[in-house]
Amino acid sequence: MTLDFSVLHTALPRMIEAAGTTILISVLAMVIGIAGGLVIMLLRIAPNRVVSLAALSYVEAIRNVPLILLVYWGYYVLPILLDLRLSAFACGLIALSLVVSAYTAEIFRAGVRSIRPRQYDAALALGMSKAQMYRRVIIPQAASRVLPILASVWVSLFKDTSLVSVIGVHELAYVSLEIRSSTFRVLEILSTMALIYWCIGYPQAKLVDRLHRKYGAKE
Amino acid sequence: MSEVMSFPILERPKSKGQSPMVTYNGVVKRFGAFTALTGVDGAVYPGEVVCLIGPSGSGKSTLLRCTNALERIDEGSITFDGSPLPAAEKDVRAVRRRMGMVFQGFELFPHMSAIENVMAGPLTVLKADKASARRQAEQLLDKVGLAHKADSLPAMLSGGQQQRVAIARALAMEPEMMLFDEPTSALDPETVGEVLAVMRKLADEGMTMLVVTHEMSFARKVGDWIVVFDHGKVVEEGPPDVIYVNPQAERTRNFLSHIGWHE
Repeated sequence: MTLDFSVLHTALPRMIEAAGTTILISVLAMVIGIAGGLVIMLLRIAPNRVVSLAALSYVEAIRNVPLILLVYWGYYVLPILLDLRLSAFACGLIALSLVVSAYTAEIFRAGVRSIRPRQYDAALALGMSKAQMYRRVIIPQAASRVLPILASVWVSLFKDTSLVSVIGVHELAYVSLEIRSSTFRVLEILSTMALIYWCIGYPQAKLVDRLHRKYGAKE
Repeated sequence: MSEVMSFPILERPKSKGQSPMVTYNGVVKRFGAFTALTGVDGAVYPGEVVCLIGPSGSGKSTLLRCTNALERIDEGSITFDGSPLPAAEKDVRAVRRRMGMVFQGFELFPHMSAIENVMAGPLTVLKADKASARRQAEQLLDKVGLAHKADSLPAMLSGGQQQRVAIARALAMEPEMMLFDEPTSALDPETVGEVLAVMRKLADEGMTMLVVTHEMSFARKVGDWIVVFDHGKVVEEGPPDVIYVNPQAERTRNFLSHIGWHE
């Protein structure tokens, strides 16, 4: 067996461009997912039973199906439901955001519950409303506690974006596999693909670790 | 209360010609099967320092927490400034703004510096502008002797310092009354004094204070009115000169001798 990395002359620029798409969809899914997760967490702990049950159902529905199914669902079913035509990128982004929001909602809820009850009392005793209490006192504390867990969500999300290749989003996995099929340089392309994922993923994981040490729980 | 009724007339100077700031009428509070308060009556008059003493678990802290509606009572009534504590969340907030509260465990917000803690109430609740909130916070930190710790995070402060910041935080709302829930119980012995000194200064300035405490010498010297709790009810109340010198109720005598109080 011979290795021929000359294929990379043409393949590498395309793969790097595709890695940009991977990063873009990861960042967008994380941002949208975290915002959504916050909202769902707040609904989940709302005093209204119907509201909290709806939020719980959402979380349990999303968490307990495979991501790849959500990706297909976002591509084939969602456009029919919403009656619009969405790009593969948009469908993939929606599927990933749904997953991130469901996971982070649970993570935020655990974070909020880890704040001791007297902190709630201290905020309320100042005359804060519940909303002010969460915004100023509870969520900022919970946020620093959940940062390491969010970090691992981020790191898996970054790798899981490869699943949106199944609906033809031109991200790193899709483009790499396409080049592999057209050039038959399986080992070279897959190794390069792995290396690109690793080179992007590893510094992120390290950066998140550092953020954690810097902003982690102060008690 | 029948026990109290049979006592000689107890002088309560600060009650003269004033209506109470807080009254308790037959207050009952249950936690599941446990009854924490079994019909408590009493009052706090403006400018008074009322100390609640008694064994742990006797209901003192529960009464304090019912006073600003952190706990809801099951029977009876509590009035503040002549009106019953409101039921609606929004109206309760208006009452809480007028009462400062200090906790056993300090409960500073750990992600905020000392001065940010003091500014938290005015900025968030009163929508004060930042510059004036900061000026006021600086004055309050100076008052509790911690101007030099303004930018420290709570974790960097000793227990006594944290509690003094917590008092400043409560004062920043310019409350008409202060509730203290065992403010020195979690402190190292050497820092208890600095917190009590701040409380004493407040009392001297005429702040109305309701204090749950195990610091008998503080209650004895600074308290205007002492209320003795046991098993969720008031067993005796009176001026410190009576409670600490010549307690009438058997259970008060037992409690004081148990904790080693000698006049």
